[in-house]
Amino acid sequence: MKQVAIVAGGEAKAGRRAASWRDLVQEAGKALFEDVDNLSPKDVDSIFVGAAQPERFAFLSYVAPLVAEYIGVTPRKVIARTELACVSGQAAIRYAWNCVATGMSDIAVAIGVEKMYQPDMAEAQTTMTCVLDREWDGINCFSAPPIFAVTAQRHMYEFGTTEEQMALVSVKNHHYSSLNPIAHLRKEVTVEAVLKSPVVAPPLKLFDCCPMTDGSAGVILVRAEDAKKYTDTPMYLIGSGQYAIGNVINNLASLAEWVPLKLAAKEAWRTAKITKDDVDIAEVHDCFTISEIMEYEGLGFCETGKGGQFIEDGEPYIGGKVAVNPSGGIMGCGHPLGATSIYHTFEILKQFRGDVDKGRYVEGAEIGIQHSLSGAANLHSILVCSRELR
Amino acid sequence: MSMVKFEKIKRPEKIGLPFMLDFYPLQDEKNTRISQFFKSLKEGHLTTTKCKECGKVLWPPRIMCPECLSESLEWVDLGVEGELYAFTEIRLGAPLGFVEDVPFCVGIVKIGSLLISARIDDAKYEDLKIGDKVNLKIVELPDSRVFYRFSKDKEQ
Ligand SMILES: [Zn+2]
Repeated sequence: MKQVAIVAGGEAKAGRRAASWRDLVQEAGKALFEDVDNLSPKDVDSIFVGAAQPERFAFLSYVAPLVAEYIGVTPRKVIARTELACVSGQAAIRYAWNCVATGMSDIAVAIGVEKMYQPDMAEAQTTMTCVLDREWDGINCFSAPPIFAVTAQRHMYEFGTTEEQMALVSVKNHHYSSLNPIAHLRKEVTVEAVLKSPVVAPPLKLFDCCPMTDGSAGVILVRAEDAKKYTDTPMYLIGSGQYAIGNVINNLASLAEWVPLKLAAKEAWRTAKITKDDVDIAEVHDCFTISEIMEYEGLGFCETGKGGQFIEDGEPYIGGKVAVNPSGGIMGCGHPLGATSIYHTFEILKQFRGDVDKGRYVEGAEIGIQHSLSGAANLHSILVCSRELR
Repeated sequence: MSMVKFEKIKRPEKIGLPFMLDFYPLQDEKNTRISQFFKSLKEGHLTTTKCKECGKVLWPPRIMCPECLSESLEWVDLGVEGELYAFTEIRLGAPLGFVEDVPFCVGIVKIGSLLISARIDDAKYEDLKIGDKVNLKIVELPDSRVFYRFSKDKEQ
């Protein structure tokens, strides 16, 4: 197996965009190829398109050839759409990585896209609700906010986590997204504003939830030995972990403790030959404030049940124990499902390059992880990225 | 002068809830091999399948045990009472067909070893707490399909 590097990234501005699904992917594709020397779309032999629900959000299936056509790629090795709900983008990167590592592909693109805004909010919610088992959980209206609301309720009940502690996550991530030009939400919020924002599904308020966001982002993967042909600052993929337990709510390992995250993290650290203490940047899946708190715990940055205390102590800020979501996370940047993981992977590359606002720059970072989860948090997926080849 | 012809065309003003966007599943024996579940529900019984080989109680009901691959399953009655394990209230963002019901409570009900998600009727969020006893309730759809919900026991 060959080692693999990411040599370029490109992204569309995230937000409530006056742009269609295919406009977004063209913006990201153009930015992607303008980010790299000596490489044009025609050199790419494989493409993976992360798209969670184009059937419903854009009324399109069979989207991989469409995207390839629009961004000028002529796939001749492997082409596929990857769908894994909110992990669809990371799935695209993982497949591209595998293809390059095995030698099946020389140059592969992973690009994600989602158009979340549509005229009818209820229709958008209908679309989201079929991610959970539609006939047994979705039917009871367990879409994203309710499932994370009951998760938060159990975490509060079992560990004493407070709504104020959850609000602190929103404050931190909106602070960083205010410094990120591609972010959807660029305004700071206060704890008071989070607590007073409209209740979506108690205990979750509007500012505990990520926004509905349109976006697209891509990365290019090549063999590590070839990376310097294309850039002076490649980023190396050195490990990964992915774990799923159950699907319907009844068959989750636990609501208040994310067991599959702990198992995915263990595997990520093992394959990358690092420990959690080596992680400088963690771009994690803060779809709701409770998610990030449970990710501090699941990734081992603090003990189970102590995630609220961890943010109260300022540990996930730059300069704390580990910089968590210096991009502004999903909370601030937005969550265009199929593109989210790719935005966050590109963020780590930009951090390594020093290509971010100094207010959110993690100086000297060597290791960054990108974590995504999907469904009722029954599936967790982690990529370990390194500035140096290890 | 332009020779291009313009013509107004007709489209349906409104399209009803498309069949596959209705959240309630097709329940009769022509459409599912677990139609017995819905038959029992019509008679007031919440049931599920239990594997006769390995003894595992499976939720939701199956035609095959994922633990041991056995197709030898039996229907077991889950009774009419459960305990509220977690709950919330949907105030914003309900899907099509449910918008008219907002606000409404949903929860996870503990019945024996199972954690079953359901609508929690006849209660506001403020009326509920973890551990509350809730009772089985059956709702009947206009087309004779049925589904289960739970209701807060007013006696408490
Ligand atoms: Zn069995």
